Amino acid sequence: MAILQKKICMIGDFSVGKTSLVARFVRQTFSDKYLTTVGVKIDTKLLTLPDGNQIKFILWDIAGSESLTTATTSYLRGSAGFLLVVDGTRRPTWDSALNLRQTVLKQIGDKPFVILLNKADLKEQWEITEELMEEKTKQGWKLLLTSAKNGMNVEQAFLELALLMTK
Amino acid sequence: MTNIPASVIEYVQSMWMAEMILTYLHIDAEGRLIDWGGYPQRYGLTTLTKDKLVVDQVDFLNGFLDITHTEVLQYLNIGGNRCIHVHIVPLEDGIYVLLLDVTAEHDRQQKMQQQVNELSILTYRQSQLLQELETTRIKLSAEKQQLEQTSKLKNDFIATLSHELRTPLTSIMGYTKLLDDAKQADVYESNYLDSVKKNANHLLSLIDNILDQTKLEIGQIEIHPNNCNVKQLLVDLKSLFLPIAQEKNLMFSVEVPDNLPTQLIIDELRFRQVLINLITNGIKFTDKGFVEVKITWQNNRLEFIVTDSGPGISPESQPKIFTAFHRESTANALPGVGLGLAISYHLVELMGGQLSVESSPQFGSNFTGFISANSVQFSVSDNTEISNSNIKILLVDDSVDLRSLIELYLENDGYAVITANDGDEAVKLALQTKPDIILMDMQMPVLDGYGAVQKLRAKKFTKPIIALSGSNIECDRNYALEIGCNQYLTKPIDPEKLLKVISQVILSSI
Ligand SMILES: Nc1nc2c(ncn2[C@@H]2O[C@H](COP(=O)(O)OP(=O)(O)O)[C@@H](O)[C@H]2O)c(=O)[nH]1
Ligand SMILES: [Mg+2]
Repeated sequence: MAILQKKICMIGDFSVGKTSLVARFVRQTFSDKYLTTVGVKIDTKLLTLPDGNQIKFILWDIAGSESLTTATTSYLRGSAGFLLVVDGTRRPTWDSALNLRQTVLKQIGDKPFVILLNKADLKEQWEITEELMEEKTKQGWKLLLTSAKNGMNVEQAFLELALLMTK
Repeated sequence: MTNIPASVIEYVQSMWMAEMILTYLHIDAEGRLIDWGGYPQRYGLTTLTKDKLVVDQVDFLNGFLDITHTEVLQYLNIGGNRCIHVHIVPLEDGIYVLLLDVTAEHDRQQKMQQQVNELSILTYRQSQLLQELETTRIKLSAEKQQLEQTSKLKNDFIATLSHELRTPLTSIMGYTKLLDDAKQADVYESNYLDSVKKNANHLLSLIDNILDQTKLEIGQIEIHPNNCNVKQLLVDLKSLFLPIAQEKNLMFSVEVPDNLPTQLIIDELRFRQVLINLITNGIKFTDKGFVEVKITWQNNRLEFIVTDSGPGISPESQPKIFTAFHRESTANALPGVGLGLAISYHLVELMGGQLSVESSPQFGSNFTGFISANSVQFSVSDNTEISNSNIKILLVDDSVDLRSLIELYLENDGYAVITANDGDEAVKLALQTKPDIILMDMQMPVLDGYGAVQKLRAKKFTKPIIALSGSNIECDRNYALEIGCNQYLTKPIDPEKLLKVISQVILSSI
């Protein structure tokens, strides 16, 4: 019998680390070099949940920008959930993420998501305050500090999303 | 065909792949793969099986099989390194999925987008840096202000300290001198007096050195070059140090060249201070032999060498010798806090020169330096002889001790003296009695010297006023001169100097 398949979108401004998070999650690799994504790159990964069940993630790593165009909104179709990625060292990408989430909501309805504050290894350049995070946590949003560079919370992020989606 | 270049063939082939032979998948209403054409393996679809569910074989089609009209997905990378546009077209006999190769266009777009994104990040980082810079600048300027405030407080503290310490010391020294002059003391008494005098002197020079060093550190010492009789200065120094050297059985000489002009424009006070420091130092460390001062003057430079036959300074110590509070190990048994050389070094620099040391343990030390010193054409003004008894001096000071001391000096010299206890009284008395000259203490209760001078000058009192102040802070001096004092003397008041200044001021006011 075929295992459960879930389509997941990586949403966020450009250069926040979407491609890197997928690379870390799927291939355990990381590169400092930035290569802009144009369009979408599709990857898959099999994940074993704590209850032993397996789930196949079909990851859509969508080109980042502060808003989605009509061409890119069609990528969202059939998505079961998404990761909303913020570059913790660039405050404006936080606002982009909030805008993008509105667009996604309109397009595919209220789907599970987790906010990832990525590049958590760059603490000296950090621009996201505790208050900002707390405000969203209070609304019931799930936030995680991640680093595609050192792997911190990356596996955890996908697992959290899987749990939200299978609940 | 042989004439067509390989690159042209390649180009034609790439066109062929992208547009002539279409890659497609055909899916039935149940979502099973019925058929395909073209080159799906080019895009990573290598193991297609007919009659099986397409979503299990082609991942990206998940969620797209329930469409009712054509859906286009641009720039998909579904594995491998090629990029496609996907057209999903629902027809009567199922869904056709068309895959169009757009790798070349993708790469072009990617290059462009990459530049735009990188530039945008760079601009952001730059603006962040500028902001940080501005924040740092604001912080620094606040800190600077704070520091200036602290430094001002320190100044004021020095002024107060200077006043508080020097004034009582002045009276101690003055009375000691008077007692000594009386010459009725027996041997014991005069030994005691000597001891008081020596200790008071030592205390005073200590205070003065610490004050000087502090002021040098905060850049508060200014150099005031003026006409100076250098020859006389050197004669004075010789007679000052000869007895001290003789007491230690040392030879002491001051060599003055013939070409030395009588008058040079230098800061006499500071130059004297430097020589005194160097000579004192030489005599202090030398137990046998000589201390020698050599002066030369050339190219508007006054050069001086102070040589001694003392123990010398080790090569390791020489670089540290001009550092404040540095003390040689040989100096442990000797008095002093290690400020004289540091102060001299800075003073010489301020006077446009340099001070250096050469030394070897066998031969002693050699302090060599110079300051800039222009000569002047000196015109002798005819000295009008005035009898002091016709001259009325108003002496203003709140310290009774000091007042009676100075009064004694003045009356000794034949002047007529009136006294006042504070600024208010001084203004009243001055306007009533019209003295020829006023000696005004600057720090007094009720109305201080500054206030009194301002009032007097405002009321058109034109006679000379000499400020007597416990503060030898530069800005106090400047302020006093600015508001109308003719001279500024610091305590302790040297009686000879006071008398000299009084007669000078009176001469020039006639
Ligand atoms: N230090 C650090 N750099 C990261 C991290 N994640 C991504 N990057 C870098 O950020 C840049 C953009 O990453 P990328 O994954 O291409 O961002 P995307 O545009 O959101 O896909 C690249 O240079 C990455 O090396 C991270 O966790 N830490
Ligand atoms: Mg990317």
